[in-house]
Amino acid sequence: MLGKRKPLWGKKKRLKSSYDAVIIGGGLHGLATAYYLAKEQGLTDVAIIEKRYIGLGGAGRNTAIVRANQRTQENVPLYKEALDLWPVLTKELDFNLMFNNCGNVNLMHSEAAMKAARMNVATAQFHGVESHLIDAKEAKALVPALNISEDITYPIHGAMYHPPGGIVRHDAVVWGLAKGAAKQGVHIHQQTEATAIHTGGGRITGVETTRGRISTNRVLVSAGGYSAGIINRMLGLRLPISVLTIQAMVTQPLKPILDHVVSSGAYHCYANQTLKGEIATGAHMDPWPNYTTQNTAHYIKHQAEALSDWLPCLRGVKFMRIWGGLADMTPDMAPIMDGNDPVGGLYMDCGWGYFGFKSCSAVGKYMAQYMATGNCPDILKPFHLRRYENHRLMGETAALVNYTPDN
Amino acid sequence: MALTLTCPICGKRNGYEFRFGGEDKGPRPPEEGLTPGAWCDYVHMNNCTAGVQKEWWFHRDGCGSWFTTWRDTTRNLEAEPPEANK
Ligand SMILES: Cc1cc2nc3c(=O)[nH]c(=O)nc-3n(C[C@H](O)[C@H](O)[C@H](O)COP(=O)(O)OP(=O)(O)OC[C@H]3O[C@@H](n4cnc5c(N)ncnc54)[C@H](O)[C@@H]3O)c2cc1C
Ligand SMILES: [Zn+2]
Repeated sequence: MLGKRKPLWGKKKRLKSSYDAVIIGGGLHGLATAYYLAKEQGLTDVAIIEKRYIGLGGAGRNTAIVRANQRTQENVPLYKEALDLWPVLTKELDFNLMFNNCGNVNLMHSEAAMKAARMNVATAQFHGVESHLIDAKEAKALVPALNISEDITYPIHGAMYHPPGGIVRHDAVVWGLAKGAAKQGVHIHQQTEATAIHTGGGRITGVETTRGRISTNRVLVSAGGYSAGIINRMLGLRLPISVLTIQAMVTQPLKPILDHVVSSGAYHCYANQTLKGEIATGAHMDPWPNYTTQNTAHYIKHQAEALSDWLPCLRGVKFMRIWGGLADMTPDMAPIMDGNDPVGGLYMDCGWGYFGFKSCSAVGKYMAQYMATGNCPDILKPFHLRRYENHRLMGETAALVNYTPDN
Repeated sequence: MALTLTCPICGKRNGYEFRFGGEDKGPRPPEEGLTPGAWCDYVHMNNCTAGVQKEWWFHRDGCGSWFTTWRDTTRNLEAEPPEANK
């Protein structure tokens, strides 16, 4: 919209020449960390630097799926806490985040996949996350539109059913967090790009932006898909990340037919029905790194074929909108959250791939604690960067198809 | 986004025939005196360049060649190497 309307989160603030903490990137993780810095850590002299407008990145492009049925014991508690926080945040922010905990059904198409799911379910149950293994008939009872016949490309053997997951309105999370952070004194500077990070004596000293220099001794890089490039370009540190375009789309609105998030690793395809009635579907990543965020005919065809197979009632339904965003993938499909190593005052929160929405609430809370105290909270310790050189990669990969440019 | 690559043997082909083989990181580091840090750097670490970079490709559904080429990651087009690398 044109014109100079005041943003939802308050009036534009003057860019000060110094802040206690500067956050690069007005996405989910930057906003959540700023919110918790102000609310729980008493650090309110915080600036969020966003190159265009908040929510431009993955924050406004994701398909809004939340769940806590990851594979490893390091990851599950973090995602569980994030999932438990949605109702809390809805109240706290006084903003309707439209959490629809319709449950997730992860389809399995082979005995091997069922075996892997069995381990996921056991891990989930151990950590108090509700998750069950169900057979094809039970999956059909939950999702009547499902095709459980034998004569499709990947017949359905069963599924992992995770009732507490579902969908949260991603834009509402952006707006709600921005409002909550700004209310407590955080400055949100849109149209302000970080162009350099300054260091001195092994510590952060400031950030250069397109609107001038800011002195600070604490910087969080939470620029989503752009984080690895920024950290390399501005600090000469390379990360184990590949940046790929990931695509998504919605169909024309339909009468209610799906009341779960249903996903299939073998088909590289997931689908859920939005409150508007559209089938939101996605999961395809380009098999080569790129920053284009463009869609491909290849993928639109793939998506139509996959959906016609396992949700045949969608045959002939039209796609209405398509879009793409960036996924920054790590070799073990787990994120990198680290601080003060090798540069004092430098914090990073990246490598979220396509899991950065469901995690943002809990991550913001703990990254804020990390940045305020300088000490890494126990729950974030396993996610340090040095795990790669110590050959301590996490085992998240087997939970989903291994879908990175390395395979 | 779609991609066309030039295989040194088969010429211009659809990108989906190829497998991406990673950023070009130069020769494999010698075993002697190799540290976990240097090995990790070679195996895992990337530049994540938004722009023209040199990279490895494998013509998987074609002649089976491995080759390096330059590509602009912001446009998904093969590109000339930047001046400094010519
Ligand atoms: C199509 C798609 C579907 C997805 N589906 C899901 C899903 O269902 N569930 C899920 O959990 N996750 C999903 N994701 C992943 C999720 O969206 C991301 O992991 C998440 O948005 C990452 O949050 P972030 O705050 O780190 O980065 P982002 O939300 O990407 O925000 C980063 C911000 O940094 C800004 N920025 C970049 N460079 C600079 C600079 N130099 N200076 C200042 N600002 C800068 C960008 O403009 C951007 O606004 C999906 C992603 C995509 C693209
Ligand atoms: Zn060839």
